[in-house]
Amino acid sequence: MTTLIGGEMLAWSDLDGSHGPAPAGGDALRSLLPAVSGRTLVAGPHSPQLVAALPTTDVTVLIRGDLDAPAFDTPVLCGSLEKLETLPAYDTVLALDGLGRLHSAEAPPFTWDETLTQLLALLKPDGRLLLGHENLFGVHRLTALPPAPADADWTVPDDHDPARPAGHPRLLARLTAAGLRISRDYAAYPSLTAPTVLLSEEALAAPTVTGALQAAVATALAPTADTLADPVRMATAAFRHDLGAALAPAWVVIAERGTPQPTSTPDAVLDSAPADLAELPQGRTLADHLLAAAQRRDLPALRELLTAWQSGPAAGVPATQIVAAIPTPTGLLPPDTADSVLPDTAPVAPTPASAASSGPAAGSPTGGRVALSPLAPAGEPLQALRAFAAEVIAGGYAHLWPIQADEAELTAVLAGMTGRELEPGEVPASPTPATHSVGDLLADRERLTRELSEARAKHEWYEKMLLHREAELKRVRQMNALLSATVPGKAAAGLVGGLRAGKRAVRSVVRRTRGN
Amino acid sequence: MEFGVHHANHYYGHSHVLARYCGLDDAEPPRIHGYLQHGWNIGDGMAPDHEYVPGIAKFVWSERVRRRAWSLGRREVYVVGAPWAYLLALSPEPIDAPKREGTIWYPFHGWEGQHIVGDHNGLIREIRDTETGPVTVCLYWQEFRDKRVRALYERAGFRVISHGYRGGWWKDLDPGFLYRQLAEQRKHSRVASNRLSSAIVYGTLAGCEPAVYGDPMQLEGEKSAFGGQARIVREWGAMHGTSIDLDYARALATAELGADRLLPPAELRRLFQWPAPQDVPDFELTGVIPR
Repeated sequence: MTTLIGGEMLAWSDLDGSHGPAPAGGDALRSLLPAVSGRTLVAGPHSPQLVAALPTTDVTVLIRGDLDAPAFDTPVLCGSLEKLETLPAYDTVLALDGLGRLHSAEAPPFTWDETLTQLLALLKPDGRLLLGHENLFGVHRLTALPPAPADADWTVPDDHDPARPAGHPRLLARLTAAGLRISRDYAAYPSLTAPTVLLSEEALAAPTVTGALQAAVATALAPTADTLADPVRMATAAFRHDLGAALAPAWVVIAERGTPQPTSTPDAVLDSAPADLAELPQGRTLADHLLAAAQRRDLPALRELLTAWQSGPAAGVPATQIVAAIPTPTGLLPPDTADSVLPDTAPVAPTPASAASSGPAAGSPTGGRVALSPLAPAGEPLQALRAFAAEVIAGGYAHLWPIQADEAELTAVLAGMTGRELEPGEVPASPTPATHSVGDLLADRERLTRELSEARAKHEWYEKMLLHREAELKRVRQMNALLSATVPGKAAAGLVGGLRAGKRAVRSVVRRTRGN
Repeated sequence: MEFGVHHANHYYGHSHVLARYCGLDDAEPPRIHGYLQHGWNIGDGMAPDHEYVPGIAKFVWSERVRRRAWSLGRREVYVVGAPWAYLLALSPEPIDAPKREGTIWYPFHGWEGQHIVGDHNGLIREIRDTETGPVTVCLYWQEFRDKRVRALYERAGFRVISHGYRGGWWKDLDPGFLYRQLAEQRKHSRVASNRLSSAIVYGTLAGCEPAVYGDPMQLEGEKSAFGGQARIVREWGAMHGTSIDLDYARALATAELGADRLLPPAELRRLFQWPAPQDVPDFELTGVIPR
């Protein structure tokens, strides 16, 4: 049943994604639905699947485009929010799409504050609000190229507007000021409308599971379009700086009027599935450990980590998708281990080539102490190693190695660090990147320019050396010719000739003797 | 001037040892694509006469030298450890080795064309006053060939030897240098010199107790690159004296020779752009390439 409440937009759909982003939806948001109860208003575009999954039967949907009404089995109010009768009638208001798509093009512009007031007017005194809010300073915006405005952007959310809360603390403060008590709030990745990762305040504050969280965020943020900079690199850096909430693309808040009711929403949603913090592997990602060792120039630690990774069952899992538990907090080796390498006992060295067949892990002084928990299925190990090499180059860590920053070459060196013999030609080709980052392209150009000039210098040097050698060869030949013309030279040539004749004679005698 | 291979890469048979470690023919070590540090060094690890081609790798012995080289503007610097440390890894001291005895003493020497200003007799007195066991004096080849210098030490009752000629420009290369040096050092319980030098650091790693004392014998017109002898005494003061804290000395030798961070052969071959070892079945078993 569809009720036209006024201000409705004809021949308009927010659900089909043709005029703006797709509606709020996905399995991650579904994990929040246990917080929904009683009479519920779904305000703004939400995917019909999400609405169908609501754990309550008394659901009303507010949409602005008439084309979307048939998608819902529930009663639909079609029109602009301000036209709705302001009765505090709902136990739950679900506005996971944010406050940006509640008014139609017919409505005068309302500020974020005004829109919130309109929405809260519909909520019962002990009602609950589930609100999404896009962070205009989130990694998705910081790394994006300037977007082309869509049809729905007749007005756009703007961080110049003081009426729209900018930043996570201000959002919470504004909701509190509006008489709500916040019972749960989540940082959402990679976007407001289609998050796959939701991290509660509790999850973000748990230092032990940061690796698992970063791995999930890395997967969530894999770019689908060209960017200014790699959003994954920026987001993982944000986590290292404890900015996982501040730079999240969006936030989702669950807040109540009156006494907060306990909700059974999960502490974290990773890869669209609820996750129990106590069951997540503890530690930082392997990529984090590897790059930290690289930055410390701690080659032994780097070799050990690479070997532990590439010689174990997680070899085919990307380093960003592995949580590594390492006994000592600062690194691999307790400081005193280095001193045990004393000449009396012969230096603890990697296995020389003569015994290298005994396995790549041989010679690792703390072999087996690194525990790796893969978070993704294993693929081809060399692809995983190559992906790490690519990250080393793109992330600006390649200057540790004295080689040209070539993915295949670096992959071969990394394999060498694990004791594995690998020619760059044997490294599988990397898939052609579907997207590019402008920053990486500029860095690539810079690097290629430098490498070209180095190659030219090398070429010049080879040229110089070649001329030098040619001159030397000429001189030796001349000397040779000169010496052969002298009396001792001729005598020597005669002697050699005589010896050859003698050798021939001996051979023929031997042959004849054998023949008999 | 050569790069990759710089002729200095073959000094003392360094590339020969590394080739053997990598499972390659150590009679004809392949070209190292890069510069290899060839002596204990208080500068950037490279010889002052090196001409650098941009982008070419510099392989140094220790993390400390790498840091210093970087600060001096060098790039493409990578710590591989000293060939000496690889040699020790390849040839662990046998458990039933004969008991070590006496001191191997390296009087400081110059290089070709450098002449020492100093008093050999004074040095000999100091050695006699300090060392209690038999003394082997190891002379640089130039002094070893000089009968007068040799006779000075022989008359003092010392055994006089030389480890050989370091070689140069691919001529008269001496792949046996380090092997002879190791064999000699392992006969002695002490290693000493009038200057902190490669030989002292080598000997310490090879299990000798080090000592540095006596007239440091300045070179005629010696240039003080990177602070010279004065800085060595200042910075590595604890490595000077007739008796040195052994734990400290060993930790220092391990660090300066990069003995705690040797590369796996596969990594070394990759960085040097060396070929993979030949597929010789016997080699797998014996570590010896038949030729």
